[in-house]
Amino acid sequence: MDVRNNRRQAGGSSVVTANRLLDGRIVWLAEDGAWSGRIDAARIFSNDGIEAVIDATARRQQADGVVGVYGVQISDDSTTPVPVTVRERIRAFGPTVHPEFATLTEVPSDVR
Amino acid sequence: MPLLENGRLVEDFWTTIGDDAPLPPTGPVIVPLERLEDGLARPAGEKLGVALPPDAEVAVLRAALPRLALVGVTFPTFRDGRAFSQARALREHLDFAGEIRVTGRPLPDQYEFLLRCGASTVQLPDGADPAVWARAHERFTTAYQPSVRDERAEGFGLRRFLA
Amino acid sequence: MSAETLATPDTAPVGHYAYDQVDRAFLHDRVEQFRDQVARRLSGALSEDEFKPLRLMNGLYLQLHAYMLRVAIPYGILDSRQMRELAHIARTYDRDYGHFTTRQNIQFNWIRLEDTPDILARLAAVDMHAIQTSGNCIRNVTCDQFAGAAVDELLDPRVHAEILRQWSTLHPEFSFLPRKFKIAISGSPHDRVAARFHDIGLVAKPGRHGTVFDVFVGGGMGRTPIVGVHLRDNLPEEDLLAYLEAMVRVYNEYGRRDNIYKARIKILVQALGAEAYREKVDAEFAAMDRARYRLPPETVAAIRARFGTPVLDAPSDAADRLAEARRADAAFDRWVRTNTHPHRAAGYISAVISLKPDGGIPGDATSAQLDTIADLAERFSFGEIRISHMQNVVLGHVRQDQLHALWRELGGAGLASANIGLIGDIIACPGLDYCSLANARSIPIAQKLSARFANPALQERIGDLQIKISGCINACGHHHAGHIGILGVDKKGEEFFQLTLGGSAGNDAAIGQILGPALPEDATVDAIAHLVDAYLVHRTEGERFLDTYRRLGAALFKDAVYALA
Ligand code: SF4
Repeated sequence: MDVRNNRRQAGGSSVVTANRLLDGRIVWLAEDGAWSGRIDAARIFSNDGIEAVIDATARRQQADGVVGVYGVQISDDSTTPVPVTVRERIRAFGPTVHPEFATLTEVPSDVR
Repeated sequence: MPLLENGRLVEDFWTTIGDDAPLPPTGPVIVPLERLEDGLARPAGEKLGVALPPDAEVAVLRAALPRLALVGVTFPTFRDGRAFSQARALREHLDFAGEIRVTGRPLPDQYEFLLRCGASTVQLPDGADPAVWARAHERFTTAYQPSVRDERAEGFGLRRFLA
Repeated sequence: MSAETLATPDTAPVGHYAYDQVDRAFLHDRVEQFRDQVARRLSGALSEDEFKPLRLMNGLYLQLHAYMLRVAIPYGILDSRQMRELAHIARTYDRDYGHFTTRQNIQFNWIRLEDTPDILARLAAVDMHAIQTSGNCIRNVTCDQFAGAAVDELLDPRVHAEILRQWSTLHPEFSFLPRKFKIAISGSPHDRVAARFHDIGLVAKPGRHGTVFDVFVGGGMGRTPIVGVHLRDNLPEEDLLAYLEAMVRVYNEYGRRDNIYKARIKILVQALGAEAYREKVDAEFAAMDRARYRLPPETVAAIRARFGTPVLDAPSDAADRLAEARRADAAFDRWVRTNTHPHRAAGYISAVISLKPDGGIPGDATSAQLDTIADLAERFSFGEIRISHMQNVVLGHVRQDQLHALWRELGGAGLASANIGLIGDIIACPGLDYCSLANARSIPIAQKLSARFANPALQERIGDLQIKISGCINACGHHHAGHIGILGVDKKGEEFFQLTLGGSAGNDAAIGQILGPALPEDATVDAIAHLVDAYLVHRTEGERFLDTYRRLGAALFKDAVYALA
């Protein structure tokens, strides 16, 4: 996997992400082990234990219907998770060139 | 391991010999390329095959080819398509008429390509479903380019009937 | 069967090959194969690792936000019926947009895997597909956007492009090459296809005994930009396929597979040396069964017969009426100056529809615009539509006396930007807004630049200046070949942009040279304004930006950007 995806510091915290197999949309691992389309529902893990979480999650990706599980470092100073890299912020909040596609405000993607 | 020919499972009469295993004096054996000399040293009537690694040029077999009944080509991963060129060169440059056997980890979705490059048999990878391979062989009825199988031309242009 | 017995079907689309029932059955089989592959993936029979090359060979990527489907537009030619189907797909399965790429294809950014077999079936119903728009195989063959129309053309290369499309379709030996493989073909001495920047570039021309080809090999952009090597001249048409088989086979056998960044044919040609590569190809060519791969003239004729040809019969006063309309309407006159190309037939002209509106996303069109283009193509250009590698649309055969009416219709649809070849005609890849490989966003910079230079009089004063933007070193935005190239780089998770100057994709092919340290986005936009200012001060009468740069060198421009900092 691309190194940028895994840019994590020793300290700090991360969230776990993947894409849904069926429609490719971005999902975040939530509190209850379910996947959510919203990063503000993501469970926040300390970076100490994140590799184990990623491994365990990656092992059930076929059953969960997701692909490409990896961890995303978030900034320390926000209450809802905000990734530290531009790339992951764009993944979390949507393409910057179409405000109407913003992930946290759009109509759910399964409404078509 | 199951062996596939023309989309059907067939019996495998060949024994594949590893790098260090003793070479039986009789019976059909497939030897690694480095042991080709040992193989050729067996009695002339004994059936001999050789396993060609992906980075070998088929031309190294030119002298031995009249004695060979089988040449193995292999896919270290399905992405490594050198075996296609080796098979085609065996048929087209060296006029090899014996069995070309595919080993390693090809995908069923490559089966028709393999046949059209001149492969005869595929040693199915572990866990392969022969039905999926058979389906792959029947999927298309037309191809868009000539191949070493010299399929019948289909109407105008480059198209070929796949039997 | 001889060519004579195969009359052109009455409905043959102008400019591209007309499918018959055999071609349609093939596409149907291909769609069903993919449906089966998707089912095997969903059941877990195929791992993602195994499925990926299969979906890629049907143009389906997993990008940042969703799957992206890249649909092939063979040699850049579409008919209006096909364009309407693309509009339908944009409306129904995407978020109402299509994005035209630098390889004359169209991409949809919001596709669902589960819908894809149905989308491919809809495409097949209009004789379209996504075959080999990705993967380590021979990709969609690209062609001159003015093919069959340009006054400077020696030969319409589209028949041979179609032959190459067919030959490379599910090629048994060349579908798992070390890396992707791109072929471009042109029939004009003026290189509009960047033949020297392709794995294989072909230039067709009439020879003493029929068509012959000049062959370039091993050009490309990406991490290691290289101008292609001139491999041979005057390849006879009947040897075209045999020779290409030999060229690609040598690559399949010897190309590197251990390092994805060294796997393209350009690296092999450089490593072996052009001479040694040529020797290997010639040896292969000599050893193969040439009769088997011969391309006989009857085959060429039979495929040519399935191309519709336009009946060009403009009234004799067409040119006068165009001149009159230009005198009467200054805005129209400006658009004609920039957005048209001379046609070989009297009274005709090729019109370029810019997909680069001020502040817009280069290459994007809404479904409504796609429908409009289809309608206009039917009314004004025999239903034929061309996509250019500059991410614009061309109507190839427009009657000069009807050009003003076409322009007015385009204006109503927001499609009449008069900026072709100018600073507003920016190439940009999707970049980090969509692409999972990106380092930085390409589109916002393109939008800011195009807004900054929106004034049409200013654009015309600046003249011929190509800005090309890639969001990463893969160079889909051809930044190496831009007069000004912009490359997105990643510095600790933030976006920076590296400027290159002096690139060109034409007959004078050149790779742009890095100007200096990478800059943040807004500073990059300012830097380009400074570059343009420096050029305007120092150019001689009628001199292009590229030529001023070549004449004066980088120092002046470097100062213009970095001395101020
Ligand atoms: S150049 Fe890079 S960022 Fe742009 S589309 Fe290509 S791979 Fe993506």
